[in-house]
Parts: sequence; structure tokens; C-alpha cells
Amino acid sequence: MIDIITALSFAILSIALVITFVRLVRGPSLPDRVVALELMASLTVGFIGVHAVSSERFSFLDVAMVLALTAFLAAVGFARYLEKGGLRSDD
Amino acid sequence: MSAFAWNILLALIWIAVSGDFSGAGLLTGFVLGYIILGITLREVPAFAAYVRRVPKIILFAGYFLRELIRSNLRVAWDVVTPTHYMKPAVIAVPLDAKTDGEIALVANLISLTPGTLTLDVSSDRRVLYIHVMYLDDLEQVRADIKRFEARVLELLR
Amino acid sequence: MIDVLVALSMLIGALFMLLAAIGLLRMPDLPMRMHATTKAGALGSGLIMIAVALHFSSSEVTARVIAIIGFIMLTAPVAAHVIGRAGYFVGVPLWHKILQDDLKGKYDATTHTLRSPDIDSQDIEQPPRDH
Repeated sequence: MIDIITALSFAILSIALVITFVRLVRGPSLPDRVVALELMASLTVGFIGVHAVSSERFSFLDVAMVLALTAFLAAVGFARYLEKGGLRSDD
Repeated sequence: MSAFAWNILLALIWIAVSGDFSGAGLLTGFVLGYIILGITLREVPAFAAYVRRVPKIILFAGYFLRELIRSNLRVAWDVVTPTHYMKPAVIAVPLDAKTDGEIALVANLISLTPGTLTLDVSSDRRVLYIHVMYLDDLEQVRADIKRFEARVLELLR
Repeated sequence: MIDVLVALSMLIGALFMLLAAIGLLRMPDLPMRMHATTKAGALGSGLIMIAVALHFSSSEVTARVIAIIGFIMLTAPVAAHVIGRAGYFVGVPLWHKILQDDLKGKYDATTHTLRSPDIDSQDIEQPPRDH
């Protein structure tokens, strides 16, 4: 039963990733894209969780932990870049 | 917070004595230590305050989880139905929290409660700017946020 | 029994993440997109992580899961705050149906400070509600 559940979760998360990608491409502003990238990082954390269950190996969780932290640092970096006089608009 | 340190110490002693080096063992030791502190040191003010605080934190966690799910469902409904029912607004809410830590915790928890998102704190730390998704009644929303803040501050002080 | 809990938690978590993605696509302006991603995203990944902890039910996995959920709960609101602030600075347009904007004109672009509303303005000095 757990196989079906993980396959289904993978499918749902993949759809979510595609939808997020649409927002990443469409923008319209740089902060919108940064939000999309952050959601992609959380989606990847979800993917890793589901994969850990389906493959019965929990070492992947360390990757999820680091990913959760680095995504946050990326968002802070982008925000500082924007605030301290970066690109005002990118379209 | 030295009462908390004592509780940890008792939990570690429990682990050492029982030989159960696991998360469950730590948790058992912690609960037993909490009970011991609550019974034996109930006359000492610092320990009594600590013993009273723990159930409050658990109650608050339950309340917070309920809020989180309830209002997530409201946003969920709005996302999946074709029409937008949102009435967004950025409102200023006066802040009772004083120290950096209090402000940070209050702002974070407000952000995690759906429907409200903390945008910024004014530089003189008097006001929190909050983006609200459903501004049905300004007074009501503001009172709700103040009540939430009071509950958080009650845990910290 | 545990399997049912794992399945429920994982599926609901995945659905919340899908909801965050749909919200990100459908919401009309930046702050409302962040509403969708910070809350539904954090709740979704948290639920999936709880499913992982229940599935393995060993203390080393549980410790990692608690750390991951803690990181997400700590960082998601802070990230929303810095991006929202930067967006406001850059001048990302807000939705045309916004009811009121107390933040308007309060940022000082040169010193990067944020003023609070005037003390005598009526929108902030409200008598406390009694109940």
C-alpha cells in the first residue's frame, strides 16, 4: 500500500513543481521569482521525504536539512541585493 | 531558565541510571523529572513558575495547530475556487512586545497563522505592519491579533 | 495502523504543497502569493516529514525530522519578511482591490528605516475593546 501512496505523492509534488515553474518563468517581478524558487526548495524537501520512505533509506534527510537552511540564505541574499539598489525591474 | 536546566539534568540522570540511551528514554526522564520538580519544589517561586508554564506551552501548541489548520483550509478554499473572496490590506498594529526576542517570536507566529503575514517592524519598534488577507472588519482583525500576541507574551513572561 | 497514518499525513502534506503552488500561480500580487507559499508550504513539508518520522519510528530519524521542521518553521516567516520588505522597496505593484495600505510612504529609501504611524492619527490609537 505504501508504494501506491508514495507514487501518488510523487505525482502530486511533480505537478506542484511544474506549476511553480510556470510562476518562475512568468515573473513578473524578481521578488515573485524568488518566492517561486523558495517554494521549489520546500518542494524538494518534500520530495526527499517521500523518497526516503519509498527507498527505506533515511540518510537523505540530512540533505533535506541542509537544503532547508540554504534556501533561506538564498532568499535573504536576494532580498538584500534588491534592497541595496539592485535591479529595479527585470522585464 | 535554570529550572529547565535542572529538569534536563534529571532527565540525563534517568538515562544514565536506566541505561536507556534513546529519544524515548530522554522523554521519559524529562517527564519524570518534571513531576519530581513539580511535587518537591512547589514552594520555590522560580520552579513553581516553570512548572506552571509547561502545560501552558502545550495548550498553546494545540491552540496554534488548530488555528493553523482551520485558517489554512480557508485559504485553500479561496485558492481552488474560481472567484477571489480576498479583501487584502496592510494594517499597522501597535506592539506590546518589547525585547528583540519577543518581537521576533510574535512576528514569526503571526506569519505562520494563515490570513496574516508580518511584513515589517517599524524602526522605533512600536508598530508591526501586517498584511491581512481577509479584512472583514478592521477592529475585529486588530483585536484578534492583539489577543494572539497577549497569549504568546503570557508564555514568555 | 501506522501505515494508515503515514499515508494520510504524506498525502495531505503533498496536497498542501500542491495548494501552495496553485496559490503561487493564482494569487494576484506578491504578498498574497507569499501567504500561500509560507503557510501551505511549511505545513505541507512539515506533514511529509511527520510521515517520514512515523514510517521509520526510530529516534535518529525523529531527531532529524524535528530539526527539519524547526528550521522550516523558523526560516519561512523570516524569508517572507525579507522578500516582502524588498518587494515593497523595489515597488512591486499591489493588487488594485487592496482596501488600505498603512505602509505607504513609511519607508525611507536612503536610510532604510521604517517610520511608525503618527501617534495622533486615528487609525492607530484605538481604545481597547472590552470582551
